[in-house]
Amino acid sequence: MIELNHIFKRYPGGNEALSDVSFAVDKGELVFLTGHSGAGKSTLLKLISLMERPTRGQILVNGHNLGRLSPRRVPYFRREIGVVFQDNKLLNDRTVFDNVALPLVVAGITGDEVRKRVQAALDKVGLLARARGYPLTLSGGEQQRVGIARAITHRPVLLIADEPTGNLDAAMSDEIIDLFKDFNDHGVTVLIATHETRHIERLQKRVIALGRGHMVAST
Amino acid sequence: MKAYFARHIQVFLATLGDLIRHPGASFLTIAMIGVTLALPAGLYVGLLNLKQLSHSWDRGGALSVYLHRGASGQAAVAAMRRLPGVQSVRYISPRQGLREFEQQSGFGRTLTALHENPLPGVVVIRTPSSPQALTALVAALRTEAGVAHVQSNLAWLERLDAALALGHRLVMILGALLGFALILILGNTTRVAVVNRATEIDVIRLVGGTDAFIRRPFLYTGALLGGLGGVCALILLELSLLLLHDPVHNLAHLYASKYSLTGIGGGDALKLVVIGTILGWIGARWAVGRQLRQSVQ
Ligand SMILES: Nc1ncnc2c1ncn2[C@@H]1O[C@H](COP(=O)(O)OP(=O)(O)OP(=O)(O)O)[C@@H](O)[C@H]1O
Ligand SMILES: [Mg+2]
Repeated sequence: MIELNHIFKRYPGGNEALSDVSFAVDKGELVFLTGHSGAGKSTLLKLISLMERPTRGQILVNGHNLGRLSPRRVPYFRREIGVVFQDNKLLNDRTVFDNVALPLVVAGITGDEVRKRVQAALDKVGLLARARGYPLTLSGGEQQRVGIARAITHRPVLLIADEPTGNLDAAMSDEIIDLFKDFNDHGVTVLIATHETRHIERLQKRVIALGRGHMVAST
Repeated sequence: MKAYFARHIQVFLATLGDLIRHPGASFLTIAMIGVTLALPAGLYVGLLNLKQLSHSWDRGGALSVYLHRGASGQAAVAAMRRLPGVQSVRYISPRQGLREFEQQSGFGRTLTALHENPLPGVVVIRTPSSPQALTALVAALRTEAGVAHVQSNLAWLERLDAALALGHRLVMILGALLGFALILILGNTTRVAVVNRATEIDVIRLVGGTDAFIRRPFLYTGALLGGLGGVCALILLELSLLLLHDPVHNLAHLYASKYSLTGIGGGDALKLVVIGTILGWIGARWAVGRQLRQSVQ
């Protein structure tokens, strides 16, 4: 599902965020990506979701060689994956419902199908009652869950989450990780960046660890 | 296909809703476009009116042929009747001419003070007003016996026509320039709108929205503003014509004419709105395309 071959990423600023990172994630796996703050976790996820391009190296995601993907194909590639962003990226002038519906609307899905899928996604993250509210009227944790609902409404084959439990208390955090595990049990490949070792110990799944942009461990 | 149209209609309605909810800025843009379009459209209507006026002139009675003194009017008329292209012939004898002149000019007393009638006999020839036929006829008349001078009354009408053609060209050039200005106005409005919605555009891209999807609402807004600008121009135009109606009526009355201004016709009005819509769309397309290319995907 994901394959990185000798990836280097240097930001225009100058420092190297990733150097010589290689790993593969099989279809149907759930993998944790860990590392200290600034280790390059977000950078790695951005490369996989095509928000950034690597300076060197090759990335394959769901059969696409990202370096060879034409700009025209990029939107269609993004519809195959679901991304939970570290900073949520919700639209504050749209309701929770409209935010979650966005991946469906851009894909040309209309009417009842949208309502059904958005309600199902919001139900999964426990926010069905807040569908008509606006993101800024929600708590940080609730906003994060709206972001998760948006990442799953269009039923992606690959789910990428950047610190999805960053603002949540332990109970809610566990619930969200269990939700990801549930998606994974239904065949979705999941890659979660987190520095909470608690989840890693609890789920006993594979872990890829980064340190200062280098691979330090891959179980 | 049905879903495709449904989506377009949805975006169009959303655009219209946005416009109704935030009328302030849009109103300014529409007014600006209205003035920009009203200027060439107004000149165009003015030109149409002038053209109509020039066509309403009697184009027959085209040639006046002045005879030598003492030449026989009868003989001249008989000869001229036989020339090709002559529609009708009317002879005005020196005496008749004097009478008409006295009546029309009010110089009666001055002329009676003259011992002798200074006017020559004149033959007025009506002819279909094709320029080539006219030139040939003039040449033929000059060779007739007793003819002193041939004068074409159409010369000044031809000059007017030429001036009108020039005016028409100028209106076209002005229209093209102001149409370009309209594209720039809407391009700028769209550019500002795109910049204001940069975060939204980013998020739409991240969840798989194509550039076409992102462009759509901006294009509808541009086209709608352009079309409404056209309607605004029509309103400005009609108001101007309303203001001009009475003065023109009075002026025409002084010339004993029933002439009155004609407004922009239904077809031209529709054209104006359609042109506004198309130019608005072009301006928006140009600006949003540029902005999207500038921001990395
Ligand atoms: N847009 C950018 N421009 C320049 N440097 C950047 C940019 N984004 C990240 N970096 C740098 O790249 C390195 C890795 O950053 P990254 O955000 O990937 O870390 P992270 O592991 O996600 O950290 P955190 O746990 O705090 O989110 C950092 O040193 C950071 O300063
Ligand atoms: Mg990060």
